[in-house]
Amino acid sequence: MNLDFSQIVPYIPFMLEGIWVTLGFVIIAIVIGFFIGSFIALVKISHIKVLRWIADFYTSVFRGTPLILQLMFVYYAVPQVLGYDISPFLSAILTFGLNSSAYVSEIIRAGIEAVDKGQREAAMALGIPYRPMMIKIILPQAMKNILPALMNEFITLTKESAIVSVINYLDLMRRAQVVGAELYRNFEAYIFVGAIYYVMVMMLTVLGKLLERRLKKSD
Amino acid sequence: MIKVENLHKSFGDIEVLQNINTSIEKGEVVAIIGPSGSGKSTFLRCINVLESPTAGHIWVDGEDLTEPGVNILNIRQKIGMVFQHFHLFPHMKVLDNLTYAPLTVKDVSKLEAETHAHELLSSVGLSDKIDAYPNSLSGGQKQRVAIARALAMEPELMLFDEPTSALDPEMVKEVLDVIKSLAKSGMTMAVVTHEMGFAREVADRIIFMDYGKIVEEAKPEEFFSSAKTDRARDFLEKVL
Ligand SMILES: Nc1ncnc2c1ncn2[C@@H]1O[C@H](COP(=O)(O)OP(=O)(O)O)[C@@H](O)[C@H]1O
Ligand SMILES: [Mg+2]
Repeated sequence: MNLDFSQIVPYIPFMLEGIWVTLGFVIIAIVIGFFIGSFIALVKISHIKVLRWIADFYTSVFRGTPLILQLMFVYYAVPQVLGYDISPFLSAILTFGLNSSAYVSEIIRAGIEAVDKGQREAAMALGIPYRPMMIKIILPQAMKNILPALMNEFITLTKESAIVSVINYLDLMRRAQVVGAELYRNFEAYIFVGAIYYVMVMMLTVLGKLLERRLKKSD
Repeated sequence: MIKVENLHKSFGDIEVLQNINTSIEKGEVVAIIGPSGSGKSTFLRCINVLESPTAGHIWVDGEDLTEPGVNILNIRQKIGMVFQHFHLFPHMKVLDNLTYAPLTVKDVSKLEAETHAHELLSSVGLSDKIDAYPNSLSGGQKQRVAIARALAMEPELMLFDEPTSALDPEMVKEVLDVIKSLAKSGMTMAVVTHEMGFAREVADRIIFMDYGKIVEEAKPEEFFSSAKTDRARDFLEKVL
């Protein structure tokens, strides 16, 4: 065993830059996933059967196929059909955003459905219309179930984001590969970015715990 | 005020209500009693369309709520409902539980809504709980808040679905007392209850249901002393 971390020192700024690249597209993907996912969740709890069916199908496709396949499909297969040369960045936020929206929609739907049915009935009995009932009565209570699960989804997304290295997007993971190839030494670079992923995920975990505790306080 | 004609309600193949005919006059207090599973809750829930009737008609103030295109929200605003399990909004203070619906659907100012809420809370003896969250209240207190919340909409009719069945015995009286004084004030009410003493004292009329039908309707003194049907007598024998 011959470990030599001094050799990766010149590459450290290069690898650290990967943090922002990773965080950048993860955050954009999360935002996309959240908005589309919320919309799909509303469709899922609506009474329009056809729309509900489409939303369920959408979700099952993203949950039923490998993420890496979805990514490569968007990056390699879509240009073949559309004739549009999609960038790795766009492929990444599109794939992760849409994929995440499928999971987020399930999280929100389940969170809303976990709210005691009596709440809805009490609101209906008072003559409160659907929109204010959802926004002021149901959603605030659903948030208790939704936020911790969303936090988990963000953590998963941050870790899974390393898959974008396969389409040559220069994220944290890809940078470790580049440095490893250049030095003909892989161990140190992977340990280095591995530690960065670990710290990022731990920070999200702590954030989630704090959030959960604050939500519990209002009980 | 309420007229029910040939009301049927099915869940799938099961006919839970069969040909219900009755009416409730303004100012009348009706107690609905009967074995569990006989369709009492379903009947109440049809009156404010928490369940939609399978067939038949229900008129509220002359408006048939089974007509297509009828404004169900408007009808519900005239009808207060109190549930067995309270269903207070846990994320809102007691005051907001009372003012949220009026502020959202009625044309009242915040000041008016809050003044009214204060009055109602004091009438159910809970003025000191105005800033409390529901989870900090006892069952009896929760149910009194739930009654006040329904009254905050100034309904013309109040529906009670076993309002004391989920309460510890020592809290039953405080809730029944509130309902009694509401009855005395002239409110039109339909109360599903297992409290026979209460039904006898407060109701102008008893509706006895069994297997989805109204089996007997009578004045309380008649009903409790000389029920006409075997089923009603059997039932009374078990519960009295
Ligand atoms: N949403 C529902 N779906 C299917 N069956 C129901 C539903 N609600 C009530 N029922 C059935 O209808 C019957 C009458 O119920 P209910 O009106 O609650 O009776 P009660 O209030 O007299 O105890 C019961 O057999 C019950 O199981
Ligand atoms: Mg019942």
